Amino acid sequence: MKILIIEDETALAKSIGTYLSDENYLCEYATTFAQALDKINIHDYDCILLDLMLPGGDGLRVLEEIKEQNKQDGVIIISARNSLEDKIKGLQIGADDYLTKPFHLPELAARIYSIIRRKQFGNVNIIEQNELRINLLAKTVTVNEKNVTLTRKEFDLLLYFISNKNKVISKSALAEHLSGDVADMFDNYDFIYVHIKNLKKKLTEAGCDNYLKTLYGTGYKWEI
Amino acid sequence: MSKLLNLSLKRFMIYAGLVLVCSIPVYYFILSKLWHHELDEHHIALTPAAGREDRYLIIMIVTMLTMLFFLMLIIGFVLINRRISKRLWQPFYNSLAKIKSFNLDQQQTVVFEDTDINEFAELNQSLNKLIAGNIAVYKQQKEFADNASHELQTPLAIIQSKLDLLLQSKLLTDDQYELIEDANKALSRVARINKNLLLLTKIENSQFMDRELIDLSGLLESTLSAFSHFSENKDLVLKRDIPPGITIEGNKILIEILLNNLITNAIRYTVNKGTIAITLCDKYLSVANSATEALQNDQLFKRFGTTTSSITRGTGLGLSLVKQISSRYGWKVDYTFHDMYHIFSIQF
Repeated sequence: MKILIIEDETALAKSIGTYLSDENYLCEYATTFAQALDKINIHDYDCILLDLMLPGGDGLRVLEEIKEQNKQDGVIIISARNSLEDKIKGLQIGADDYLTKPFHLPELAARIYSIIRRKQFGNVNIIEQNELRINLLAKTVTVNEKNVTLTRKEFDLLLYFISNKNKVISKSALAEHLSGDVADMFDNYDFIYVHIKNLKKKLTEAGCDNYLKTLYGTGYKWEI
Repeated sequence: MSKLLNLSLKRFMIYAGLVLVCSIPVYYFILSKLWHHELDEHHIALTPAAGREDRYLIIMIVTMLTMLFFLMLIIGFVLINRRISKRLWQPFYNSLAKIKSFNLDQQQTVVFEDTDINEFAELNQSLNKLIAGNIAVYKQQKEFADNASHELQTPLAIIQSKLDLLLQSKLLTDDQYELIEDANKALSRVARINKNLLLLTKIENSQFMDRELIDLSGLLESTLSAFSHFSENKDLVLKRDIPPGITIEGNKILIEILLNNLITNAIRYTVNKGTIAITLCDKYLSVANSATEALQNDQLFKRFGTTTSSITRGTGLGLSLVKQISSRYGWKVDYTFHDMYHIFSIQF
């Protein structure tokens, strides 16, 4: 899987690259507008992370270029600008997602995972992991061919863990993922426990191995 | 309080009255001197009774004449004063009206009418300078807040990403993990404050202008259900009186922010097992939560007016957002403490 990180802040680009390279993602970097155009003209990527404020030009122009060339690359805008107009404009031109800085790396990884799955697997989008089968389109989960009924939040969590497998996920990253703008108004992260406890229980009761490990008391890791 | 010109008019009248009253004995003295002189010259001797009668006559005539002149003076003064205040001071009143309607928030400049009176021209000039300076500083400050918040986003993103990476290192101890989590929490608080600051400057800069008819009852219900697991977590009793079908005109994003802030505040600051009461009617919304003592009213709606502490983890900006949004639409926000309840209300 090839990923292009268009970001002028090298410290951030490097973090993203390091985090993603542990999965089987191959990351390339572009730090300026011109570099970005060069790269997308020559190569195809599974996913492009696009910062909007680039030295030498507006990131939205890069997006327009990708779309004009009819490329199928998935695009996630990562921007410091949190204005609705930018978001709408980006999505209208054809970005697949929009993430406002600052964000948690697991969140980014989950979004990349979801876009690549959608682009590559289309209608038969099924994740298989040993006894566990997740149908992304029908949003159903089976363990050893047996149906497991999950709530929307639990299904969401399961995907989040699977797209960040073998990574330590902190409680704050989970809180932000689970309720987005709403959660960060609260200091109490206890609601996470309930969802995770239920998810774990439902999976193990259906005969699934316990992949979801608790680390350091409040961190989590999907180990495989 | 009295008008400037009335103040001087009163002084003038008192002075004129004094002069005229003092003039009565002077007139009398001079007139009677003259009268006696004439009588002596023509060798006319008066009986004491006739002399007394003359004296009274002179005093009476002099007093009446003085009164008459005083009356004329007063009438003249009042008329002239009225003319002066209408004509002469008109430019002053014009400028005053302009300044009164001036609002720094609305960014309109003030144009004073031309006047050929030196003092007023000077006054207008100085006012112009003062206002222009104010507008410039205000703009600068807003731009600064906007730029500063934007510039902060990227370094925040870097810190966040480094913390997420640090978490992946093998063999972290529990203590080290806790350190990272604490940093994470503080960081998300900074990010939140920053986001709200950006939002405030955006509202001040008159973004979010489009308006639509919003189903307030529906929006309120869905906001409450979005937060339901937080309130259930604290065992809060939720009393709601929300009749369906109440609508309001405004920007949907702003109204959502307003409701979110009011409701999250209520949930966050109510002790476990407390009560939250939400009442909505045609022109009025109130969010009340049980409490022990009243809050400091004058600090409530100011930015960072309430101290944000690690206990509450607020951003210090929630209520100023509520206030800012309400004032955009001319709604009245109020806080009262009644029957051991904090009551935040909005009159549409």
